[in-house]
Amino acid sequence: MLPDLRSSIALASPELFLAIAAMVLLMIGVSVGRKATLLVTSLAIVALAVAAVWVAGFSHDGAAFGGMFVMDSFARFAKVLALAGSAATLLMGYNFIRAARFDTIEFPVLIVLCTLGMMVMISAGDMLALYMGLELQSLAIYVLAASNRDSLRSTEAGLKYFVLGALSSGMLLYGISLVYGYTGNTSFAAIAQALAADQRQLGLVFGLVFVLAGLAFKISAVPFHMWTPDVYEGAPTPVTAFMAAAPKMAAIALTVRVTMDAFEPIAADWRQIVIFISIASMALGSFAAIGQRNIKRLMAYSSIGHMGFVLVGLAANSQEGVRGVALYMLIYLVMTLGTFAFIMSMRRTTGHVENTDELSGLASTNPVMATVMTLLMFSLAGIPPLAGFWAKWYVFLAAINAQLYTLAVIGVLTSVVGAYYYLRVIKIMWFDEPVGGFLPMSGELRAVLGFSGAFILLYIVFGGPIGRVASAAAASFF
Amino acid sequence: MTDTLARPDLLLLSMILAPWVGAVLAGLLPRYARNGAAALSWVVALVGLVSAILLYPNITDGPVRHEIRWMPSLGIDFVLRLDGLSWLFSVLVLGIGALVVLYARYYMSPKDPVPRFFAYLLAFMGAMQGVVMAGNLVQLAIFWELTSLFSFLLIGYWYNNQLARDGARMALTVTAAGGLCLLIGVLLLGHIAGSYDLDVVLGAGDQIKRSPLYLPMLVFVLLGAFTKSAQFPFHFWLPRAMAAPTPVSAYLHSATMVKAGIFLMMRLWPVLAGTEEWYAIVGTAGILTLLIGAYAAIFQHDLKGLLAYSTISHLGLITLLLGLGTPLGFVAALFHTLNHATFKASLFMAAGIIDHETGTRDLRRLSGLRKAMPITATLAIVAAAAMAGVPLLNGFLSKEMFLAEAVSNPRDYDRNLLLPVLATLASTFAVLYSLRFIHQTFFGPPAQDLPSTPHEPPHWMRFPIELLVLICVVVGIIPGLTIGPFLATGVQSVLGEATPYYSLAVWHGFNLPLLMSLVALAGGTVLYVLFRRPINTNPHGGPRLFRPFDGVRIFDGVMNGLTAASERGASVFGTNRLQPQLRNIILVMLLAAVLAALPFWSGLGANGFTLTPPDPGFVVLWLLGIGCALIAAWQAKYHRLAAVVMLGGAGLASCISFVWLSAPDLATTQLLVEVVTTVLLLLGLRWLPKRQDAIHIPPSEQRRAKARRVSDLLVAIAFGAFTAAIAFRVMTMPAAPDGIGRFFLEHAYEQGGGRNVVNVLLVDFRALDTLGEISVLGLVGLTVFALLLRFRPGADSLSAPEQQRVQRASDERHETRQPGDTLQDTMLVPRVVMQWLFPVIVLFAVHLFLRGHDEPGGGFAAGIAMSIAFILQYMASGTRWVEDRLRIRPLKWVALGLGIATLTGMGSWIFGYPFLTSWFRYAELPVLGRVPLPSAILFDIGVFGLVVGSTVLVLIALAHQSLRKPRDRAPAHPPAPPLEEVV
Repeated sequence: MLPDLRSSIALASPELFLAIAAMVLLMIGVSVGRKATLLVTSLAIVALAVAAVWVAGFSHDGAAFGGMFVMDSFARFAKVLALAGSAATLLMGYNFIRAARFDTIEFPVLIVLCTLGMMVMISAGDMLALYMGLELQSLAIYVLAASNRDSLRSTEAGLKYFVLGALSSGMLLYGISLVYGYTGNTSFAAIAQALAADQRQLGLVFGLVFVLAGLAFKISAVPFHMWTPDVYEGAPTPVTAFMAAAPKMAAIALTVRVTMDAFEPIAADWRQIVIFISIASMALGSFAAIGQRNIKRLMAYSSIGHMGFVLVGLAANSQEGVRGVALYMLIYLVMTLGTFAFIMSMRRTTGHVENTDELSGLASTNPVMATVMTLLMFSLAGIPPLAGFWAKWYVFLAAINAQLYTLAVIGVLTSVVGAYYYLRVIKIMWFDEPVGGFLPMSGELRAVLGFSGAFILLYIVFGGPIGRVASAAAASFF
Repeated sequence: MTDTLARPDLLLLSMILAPWVGAVLAGLLPRYARNGAAALSWVVALVGLVSAILLYPNITDGPVRHEIRWMPSLGIDFVLRLDGLSWLFSVLVLGIGALVVLYARYYMSPKDPVPRFFAYLLAFMGAMQGVVMAGNLVQLAIFWELTSLFSFLLIGYWYNNQLARDGARMALTVTAAGGLCLLIGVLLLGHIAGSYDLDVVLGAGDQIKRSPLYLPMLVFVLLGAFTKSAQFPFHFWLPRAMAAPTPVSAYLHSATMVKAGIFLMMRLWPVLAGTEEWYAIVGTAGILTLLIGAYAAIFQHDLKGLLAYSTISHLGLITLLLGLGTPLGFVAALFHTLNHATFKASLFMAAGIIDHETGTRDLRRLSGLRKAMPITATLAIVAAAAMAGVPLLNGFLSKEMFLAEAVSNPRDYDRNLLLPVLATLASTFAVLYSLRFIHQTFFGPPAQDLPSTPHEPPHWMRFPIELLVLICVVVGIIPGLTIGPFLATGVQSVLGEATPYYSLAVWHGFNLPLLMSLVALAGGTVLYVLFRRPINTNPHGGPRLFRPFDGVRIFDGVMNGLTAASERGASVFGTNRLQPQLRNIILVMLLAAVLAALPFWSGLGANGFTLTPPDPGFVVLWLLGIGCALIAAWQAKYHRLAAVVMLGGAGLASCISFVWLSAPDLATTQLLVEVVTTVLLLLGLRWLPKRQDAIHIPPSEQRRAKARRVSDLLVAIAFGAFTAAIAFRVMTMPAAPDGIGRFFLEHAYEQGGGRNVVNVLLVDFRALDTLGEISVLGLVGLTVFALLLRFRPGADSLSAPEQQRVQRASDERHETRQPGDTLQDTMLVPRVVMQWLFPVIVLFAVHLFLRGHDEPGGGFAAGIAMSIAFILQYMASGTRWVEDRLRIRPLKWVALGLGIATLTGMGSWIFGYPFLTSWFRYAELPVLGRVPLPSAILFDIGVFGLVVGSTVLVLIALAHQSLRKPRDRAPAHPPAPPLEEVV
C-alpha cells in the first residue's frame, strides 16, 4: 500500500506542489493583507512556471491513485499549455485589476487553484477525478467572474455563470451516475472494458449524452453556449482572457480523454453528438458574431466557433484528429492571449473601452498595435500562412481522412463567414477615420502581444517540431 | 552547361526568395526613399528574371524540383517546382513586375510613403512566385491567400480614399473567401490523390476523375479560381479594385493576380478537365463572363473601369477556352494569357499616364490627346488594336485560335451555332469598346477644361509601354520565332503526350475564323458609329440591363443582410436573461434524451409494475404536501413569507411520511432541520427588499408577467412531478436481494456497535463522509457570518415592521405607557414559556445524543435540537436580553466540534488502525444505566458541537442585523457590541 502511495504522490507531485503553493500564498495574503497582492501575484506566476517546468521536464508516465490520475504525454502537453496560459493571464491581469481597484490577494490564489483544477481534469482517469477537477476549476472561475464586486455587470456575470454552471454540473453528475449504474465503474479504463463487453443500453446512451452535455457547457459549445457572451462581456477583462484560454484547454483535454478512453467502444454514438455540437458551434460562432459591436462579446462568439473547429478534430476519432485538437488548442491559446492583451490595452485617459468602433483608424494612431492585431485577426480567421490557418488545416485534414467530408466542408464554409467579422475589425482599424489613439501599452501586455504575434507569424517555420510533439501527445490514446 | 545550372536549386530559391527579401528591405527604408526603394525593387525583379532565364534550359525536358523538409508529420514538404507552364508565368510575374516598378517610380507622388508601396509590391511578387512555383497543393493554397492579402494592402494603399477602402475590402472578402474554398478543394484533391505533392496529384488523373468526391472537389477548387480570376458571378470586385494606384492595376489586375485563377485551372487541367461537369461549369462561367464583361466595358466612362471590364471579358475568354477541355483550347488559352498580359498591362499604364497628365480618367472629358502626347497615343492605339484583335498584332493570333476552337468545338452537338455566334458577338463588343477607348481619348478636338495641361510623360515612365507594345507587334508578326518555343515548352509541360499540332502562323488562308474576325471588326466599327452618342451620354456609366444583377449591389446586400440577420437572430434566439437560458438548456437536454431514447423505443416499458391501492390517510397527507408545495411555488415571487410557510408545510408532510413509513429517526432529524431552516429563512427574509408597489406596470407588461409566472409554475410542477415519479418508481421497486442496504442492516451492530443503522452509518461506516460534511457545514456558518459581518440592510427594509410601528404609535398615544410596552406585553407569555423551556430542550438534546447509537437520535439531531433552544431564547427575549445573560461563543463550538471529530479519527492511528476506525463497548453508568460507549460517540460529540456552533453562528449573525440602525438616526439604545466580540 505504502510504496504505491509513494509512487502516486511522486507522479502527482506538480499538482501537490501547486496545491500547497496556493495554500501558502493564501496564508501570506491573509496575514499581510491587500498590499501583498503584487508579491502573491509574482509568487503565483513563479509557482505556475515551476509547475510547468516540473511537468514538462521532470515527470514520467504512469497512473496513480489506483488509476484515478493518469500522466502521459497528452496530459503533459495540455498541462504545460494550461499552466502557461494561466501564468500569462496573471501577468497580463495585475495592472488591470490594480487600476480597477479590485487587486485582492484572492485573485492570484484563485487562479492558481483553478489551474490546479485544470491539471486534475487533464489527468483524470476516473469520473470522480473528472468531477473533482472540473468543480475546483469552475468554482474558482465563478468567483473570479464576480471578482469586481463593485461592478454590476461583473457580479451578474458571476451569478449567471454559477447558476448555469451548477445546472451543467448537475447534468454531468447525472450522466456519471447513469454510466456508473450501467457499467458498475467510474474508472475510464473499466468503463471502456464494460462497454466493450456488453451490449449498448439506453441508460448508457443517456449517461453519455448527459456527460457530454456537461463537458460541452465547459467548452461553451452550442447549445450550451448561452452563458458565454454575457459572462465574457460582464467579467473583468483579465478574467475573460483567463476563461477563454487555459480552462478551455483543460476542458477540451478532458473531453478528449473521456471520449477516447472511457467511451471508445461506443464511438459511433459520441461521434454523432460531437459532430452535431461541432456544426452547431461553428455555425453559431460565425453568424452570431457578425452583429456584435462589443469586442469581448465578439471574442465570446469567436471562441464558440473555435471550439466547434476543435471538435471537428475530435469527431475524426483518430490519432490525426487528436493531434489536430492538441495543435488547435495550442494555437488558439496563443491567439486568444494575444487578442486579450490587445483588448486590455484598449485604454484611453477616460478608461477602458470595449467597443469595436473605438478601434477606428488605429493603424494611423498606434500602427504597431494595429499591425499585430491585424495579424491576430487574420490568424483567427484562418488565413494562411498564419498559425490559425494551420490549426484549421490539421483538424480539417483529420476530418477528411476520416471521411467526414460534409463536416469539413461545413467547417470551411463557416470559417468563410467567420472571416467576415474578423476582417471587419481589420477594416475598422485600417480604413476608418481615426478617433484618437490609445494610451501606450504596458510592458507585460506588450510582451504577450508581441510573443503572440511572433508565434502566429513564425509558426510556419517551426510548425514541424511542434507537430511532432503534438503527434507524440496524440499517440497516448492509440 | 555552366556551373550555375548544375545547381538549379539556388536559382529556384533566388526566384522566390529575392522578392521576399526585397520586401523586407524595402519596408525598412525611410519613408521618403523613393529612388532607393524603386532601385531595390528593380534589382530584385531583375535577379528573379535572370535566374528564370538561366534556368530555362533545365526545364525544357521536365520540371525542376527542390525540396526542403518542412512538416514531415503532415507529409508536407516545401517543394519548389518549375516547369514550362510555371516558367512562363514566372517570367510574366517578374518581367512585368520589373516594368511596373520602373513605371511606379514616376507614377507615385513623392509625398506618398513609397517604400511601403514597394514593400507590398515585392511581397505580392513573392506570393505570386510562390503560387506559380508551388510543388505541393498546400503551399499553393497558402501563397494564394498571401496574394489576396497583399493585393488588399495594395488596393487600400491610398487608404484615405473611401473608394479605395471599399474596393480593398470587397476584393479581400471575395478572394479570401474563395481562397478558403480552394483550401477545402485542395484538401479533397489531396485526399483523393493520396498526396499533396503536385507531381503525384498530376499523375493521378483517372483516379481523381473517377472519385465520387470529384464534383464537390471540383466545385471548391473552381470557387477559388473563379473568385480570383473575376469570373461571373464573382466578377464585381475587379472594377471596384480600380481605386488602387494604377501600377497596381496594371500589375495585379491585368497581368498577374487575376491570372492566378487561370493558372490554377491550367495547372490542374490534366487531372480535372475533360469531364462533363468541368465543361458545364467552366464553359458556362467563361462564356457568361466573356459576354457580360465585354458588354459592360462598352458603357464605362472611367478609363480604368473600361479596362477592368475588358479584363474580365478576356479572362472569361480564357476560361471558356479551358472549359472546352480540348488540347487546342488549352494552347489558345495559354497563348491568350500571355498576349493579354502584354497588351493590357501597357494599356493600364497608358491610362495611368493619361490620368497623371490630365488629372482625369473620364472618357467624356478627354478628347484629342494625340496632339498633346503623340507617342503615348500611338502606343496606346497599337495596344488597343491588339485588344480588339486587329491582324498583325498578338491579340489577333490568339483570338483567331479562339474563334477556330469555337467553330470546331466537337462537343457542342446541339449548340453548334450558339458558340460561334456568341464568340463573334463578344469580339464585336471588344472592337466597339477598343474603338471607343481610342477615339474618345486621342481623337476629336483638344479637350478644354482639363484639371492639368497634358504633355508627354518622362521617357522612363513611357519605356515599359514601349517595350510591351513592341512585344505585341513582334509576336503578332513573327510568332513562331519569338514566343513559339516558350509556348511549346509550356504546353508540353501540361499536356505531355497529348500536345496537339498547332500553327502560330499569321496567315491561315481564308477560313471561317478569319471571316468571323472581319465581321467583328466591321460590326464593332459600325456599332460604334451608330451608338456613339447614346453611349457617351448615358448618365449611369453602365448598361441598364444589368442593374438588377449588379454584383456590387448584391454583395452589399448580402453583407448588410447577413449583419441584419445576425442581429435579428441574436434578438430572437439569444437572450441575456438567465431564466430562458436555463429553460433552453433543459429543453435541449430533454430533446437529446428523447432522441437518444428513440432507437430503444421498443425496449421501453417492458418491465411494468403493479400498483397496490394506497392508504387513504397517506393519500390525503401527500395531497396536502403537494398543495403546500404548489402554493409555495406560486407565491415564491411575490409573497416570500407565504412561500416559506408553505414550504414548511410541505416539509412537514414529508416528516410525517417518514413516520408513516417507519423511519422515526429520519422524521426527527427532518423535523428539527425544518424548524431551524424555516426560522433562519424568516429571519433572513426580513432584510430582503420589499415588493415595490409604486412601480407602475403597463397592462401589456402585466399580461406578460402573468404569463411568465404561469409558465414558471408549470415548470415547477413539471419538475416536482418528475422527481416525485422517480422517487415513486425507486421506492416501489422490489428491493435488490444483494443491495447495499442489506449489508448495513446486517453488519451495523456487529461492526459498528449500534442498532440505529442510520447513526452507525453516519459516525462509523461513513464517518469520513460525515467529517467532510460537517466541515462544509462549519464553512457555511463561517461564510454567512463573514458575509453578514459588514452587511448593512437596504434602506427600504430599515424601518421597523408595520406591527411594531402600530404598537409604538399606540404606546405614544397613551401617556401612561412607554414606547415598547405593548411589545413587552404581547411577548410576555411566550417569553416566560420559552425561557422555562430552555433547560428542558437542553436535556432533550442530551437525551437525543445519548440514545442515538441504538435508537433514533444522534449527534446531528441533538445539535439541531440544542440550537433550537438558543433560537427560542433569541426570538422570545431579543438579542440584547439574551446576550446580556448568555455568551454562546459559536465559533469555539465550531472549532471544538471539528477538532474533536478529527482527533477521534486520528486516535485510531495510535492503535495502528487506519483513520476513523472505531471501537465500542457498553458502560454501566450510575443513574443512566447501560450506555453504549463506542469511540464513535466522541466523533458524534464533534458532530454535535459543530452543528450547534454553525447554526447559532448564523442565528447570531442574522439577529445582529436588527441592532443595526441607519447611521444618521440617533441611537435609541447604547450601540450594540460588534459582532466579532459576541461570537
